[in-house]
Amino acid sequence: MIDIETALRVLAGAGVEFIVVGGVAARAHGSARLTNDLDVLYRRTPENVARLAAALEPHTPYLRGAPPGLPFRLDPETIRRGLNFTLTSRFGDIDLLGEITGGGGYEAVAAHSTIVAAFGLEVRCLDLDLLIQVKRAAGRPKDLEGIAELEALLEERERLGG
Amino acid sequence: MGPTRGSGGGVVLEPDPVIEAYKKDVDRTLLRENLKRSVEERLRDLMRLQRFADEWRRAARRAFD
Repeated sequence: MIDIETALRVLAGAGVEFIVVGGVAARAHGSARLTNDLDVLYRRTPENVARLAAALEPHTPYLRGAPPGLPFRLDPETIRRGLNFTLTSRFGDIDLLGEITGGGGYEAVAAHSTIVAAFGLEVRCLDLDLLIQVKRAAGRPKDLEGIAELEALLEERERLGG
Repeated sequence: MGPTRGSGGGVVLEPDPVIEAYKKDVDRTLLRENLKRSVEERLRDLMRLQRFADEWRRAARRAFD
């Protein structure tokens, strides 16, 4: 489960450069499917990595599914040495992605993102076209229903002239 | 058939027969209703659904433990 509003406030409030991808992005575009975590693609510049680590630190980020008590600390060095992190936190489950399959890193994906307004914030969100493309590229059988829904959504949106 | 070109114009989406088959079962009425809502409303709905699903999971655990 994820408190999306709090998560977005924490990240946007700290000036973190990120793009909402995955199920929450799908939901923002109108999907009806349930997702339990927030996937964000973060920019891997040293400044942004530092902002990201500082923003999440008070919310006790920890490796999801790992046994308790590991000496894990999400500091800039940890983020720099890794790429993608699946985490729990006080506000819920969040995945930090340095790259996405079929899309690439923040700079490549930013061109295919759109600004959405929610909770008094303006947040970058992966656009529907690339969302479909990355889900197709992931090639996971479990995504087939979701892709079909997103393509139907795209058709419905085009039918409405948007 | 599915879209051959994305609405952004930059992404080509060739129809996939498997996805086309799944598309027949998509509830488009629900999608049309969602499209009438703001992004914030859609995300608040998601959080409500998450809480509901979580409550069900906990209730099921209590019942079977």
